[in-house]
Amino acid sequence: MKKSFKRIFSVGWTNFKRNRYISFGTTGVMVLVLVLFAGLMAVNFLSSQVVANLQDKVDISAYFKPDISEEDILGVRSELEALDNVKKVDYVSAAEALQEFKERHAGDATIQESLAELDFNPLQASLNIKANDPAQFASVVQFLEGNKFRSVIDKINFYENEKVIGRLQSISGGIQNWGFLMTMILAAIAVLVTFNTIRLTIYNQRQEIEIMKLVGGSNWHIKAPYLVEGGLYGAFAASVTAVIFYPALFFISPKIELLMPGVSLTSYFLSNIFQFLFLVFFIGVLLGVVSSLVAIRRFLRV
Amino acid sequence: MIELKHVSTVYDDDFMALSGVNLKIGHGEFVSLVGPSGAGKSTLLRLLTRELSPRGGEVILDGVNLATLSSGEVPLLRRKIGTVYQDFKLLTNKNAFENVAFALEVCGVDEEEVNTDVPKVLNIVGLSDKAQNFPHQMSGGEKQRLAIARALIHRPRIILADEPTGNLDLMNTYDVVKLLMKINELGTTVILATHNREVVNVIGKRVVTMEKGKIIRDQVVNGKYII
Repeated sequence: MKKSFKRIFSVGWTNFKRNRYISFGTTGVMVLVLVLFAGLMAVNFLSSQVVANLQDKVDISAYFKPDISEEDILGVRSELEALDNVKKVDYVSAAEALQEFKERHAGDATIQESLAELDFNPLQASLNIKANDPAQFASVVQFLEGNKFRSVIDKINFYENEKVIGRLQSISGGIQNWGFLMTMILAAIAVLVTFNTIRLTIYNQRQEIEIMKLVGGSNWHIKAPYLVEGGLYGAFAASVTAVIFYPALFFISPKIELLMPGVSLTSYFLSNIFQFLFLVFFIGVLLGVVSSLVAIRRFLRV
Repeated sequence: MIELKHVSTVYDDDFMALSGVNLKIGHGEFVSLVGPSGAGKSTLLRLLTRELSPRGGEVILDGVNLATLSSGEVPLLRRKIGTVYQDFKLLTNKNAFENVAFALEVCGVDEEEVNTDVPKVLNIVGLSDKAQNFPHQMSGGEKQRLAIARALIHRPRIILADEPTGNLDLMNTYDVVKLLMKINELGTTVILATHNREVVNVIGKRVVTMEKGKIIRDQVVNGKYII
């Protein structure tokens, strides 16, 4: 068994070296395919960041009646935080709200004068709520509107923002769905290109395969070195892809960061470098081996 | 040992290559299969390696009807037979040593035995100094001797030679014929398909003449090429 594997790998490697022009061409095409895959991974990461940013901007506020104590409001916050679909709850006291309001309208003399004339704070304390998924706001609102909190909450701005929340949700859903669809289409094209390239490579060697059959070679004996050869195309292509992709990231990432502050492709792909290398290597070898397996089948019927 | 009973073969284009062929070949015989192009000589050989299956009749080798073999058993049948072709059918990506070794490797022979046997056979066919050469670096005669070495290496009981001298000059033709006769003297059955009159007459053994897919003459002893 061990000797048989040694022979298979040795023949596969020898074929890879001897057909150097074909190996070079096939590996080159696979590099393009794997770079495309890596690019798709980068695009998926960016689109997930866009969606996360959009979703992060969506929140609702629950305003409390003026006579409700801070302790009671913090109690409501604790209960909200215990909900699975709530991501974050921020407490804004009436004083903080006023301070923020003044700062926001610092240049507006009319507002500043009106506020100065008032001898009380007209703003209410509130809880600012972010959900894990904007679709879950309705259930949060339902929770707040229940009998338990009805007496302490004055109003919730969900209904005013409902349309905007819905639109943001459909935009982020669209980005995810279209991104997935485009990834699948491009991935399918990439697989077909690889398959056809390897099929042509094996088609070139169909006479050799036929001769091996006539000499008494079993299907497995003939097929195995071709599968190794296919795997080698994938492995070499994966290595070249990594060598191209990472330096390209260092070049592209700062430009993307200008458009999307805080989003760094370089740090994402560096922090996941082992997973990325494994995935590209796995996809490359799998594509090479499976394409060879499918392509060689018809030439074994002698 | 080899028996064809009422064998008929039809190609896809309805061309009847063999029609009701009956033939028996015993162990250790040297049979020259002669006839013009299209007579059915190559088709008959291809039936013996199960490259083709007959439309009608039976092809029996060592008591086994070849039509009953599963696809997994076909390689085992082919390992019992050594085949030499007019166009050599050498593996272009492998050197002479590897071409011969391949026929042994498929039989599951270990590396040590391969390394001992291949040089011996290359020596028999006079190619010891060409072991590392690839087919494109060899002459026609050398390629055919290499093909014979490959056919011989696993000590088959039958050698099928389909126009092995078709692409060779006179000198190389006689080298190849002498090799085949020597192999036959050692007990291997040889079936030689050819339309080379001189070759057949020099061999002077059993001659089976075919025409239009039928056997029209079978000279068992001291046969001659007669058309």
